[in-house]
Amino acid sequence: MEKTILAVDDSGSLRQMLSFSLKAAGYQVIEAVDGQDGLDKARAQVVDLVLTDQNMPRMDGLSLIKALRALPSYQKVPILMLTTESGDEMKSRGRAAGANGWLVKPFDPQKLTEVVKKVIG
Amino acid sequence: MTTKKMLGSQVKRLLSGVSDHGRQHLLEVETDLVQTAFLLGEAVEKLGSSFFALHNAVSAQQREVEILLSEFAADDPKMARLRVLRDEIAQHTNEAVTGLQFQDLTSQLLARTVQRIIGLRNVLSELAVEGNDLPVEGQEDEIVTMLNEINKNLDTQSSGLKDLLRKAVHQKDMDSGEIEMF
Repeated sequence: MEKTILAVDDSGSLRQMLSFSLKAAGYQVIEAVDGQDGLDKARAQVVDLVLTDQNMPRMDGLSLIKALRALPSYQKVPILMLTTESGDEMKSRGRAAGANGWLVKPFDPQKLTEVVKKVIG
Repeated sequence: MTTKKMLGSQVKRLLSGVSDHGRQHLLEVETDLVQTAFLLGEAVEKLGSSFFALHNAVSAQQREVEILLSEFAADDPKMARLRVLRDEIAQHTNEAVTGLQFQDLTSQLLARTVQRIIGLRNVLSELAVEGNDLPVEGQEDEIVTMLNEINKNLDTQSSGLKDLLRKAVHQKDMDSGEIEMF
């Protein structure tokens, strides 16, 4: 069965590129426009992986990760941050919040799908 | 009015002038930046549509070519050439997808710049308001005290604006970013 990825980013063009790359690799993709939308969609359907941006309106990426980790169904689901941020302090905060990995934008589709495949197969 | 008495009115005029001219120019800058952001958004939408259309067309063509060449052996040079072309197309597609993410990064930088300009306009407005409180015919030391107060407020507002506008985009090129697994 196809694995499902929740892609959370307030940039429409970025979501488009993410969906294109991940669907080409055989994954189903659910898009969310910000952290709150991501949380609502994650609650509605448990996904296999969450890819989230950090700087978003309504709810940022770190807040989304903390909210997801508080849900029993998302204790073990891998969560990767995909963001422009690259500083060590932000990465530490991401790790502490419960992120499993940190990808700096812009992403390369091949490298992204290799990481995703390693994480969820 | 004596020279000393003129000082207050001249300082008031200066502060008012800096505020008015500054705000006027900053408003123009803000308008241009908002327009730039809009045009970039439109451009990436068009580029994206064209890219996906091209990709679909090329994929369809590749499938047709594969059908046509299916009668050839797997080790036939034509098949090898097809595989090379397919790999090249995949590589260019990846590069295009990476490049098309430019709008996400640039729109964040533009948004931060617009916020800073709005903040600066507010600072300049405050300058005019505080300048209005300066006595026109006051004593020099009274004017100096008030100017010191205005300077202190400017420092506070500027620091506040700096804290609000943390830089999130440090990329200097469009090479793909690093990946770190925890």
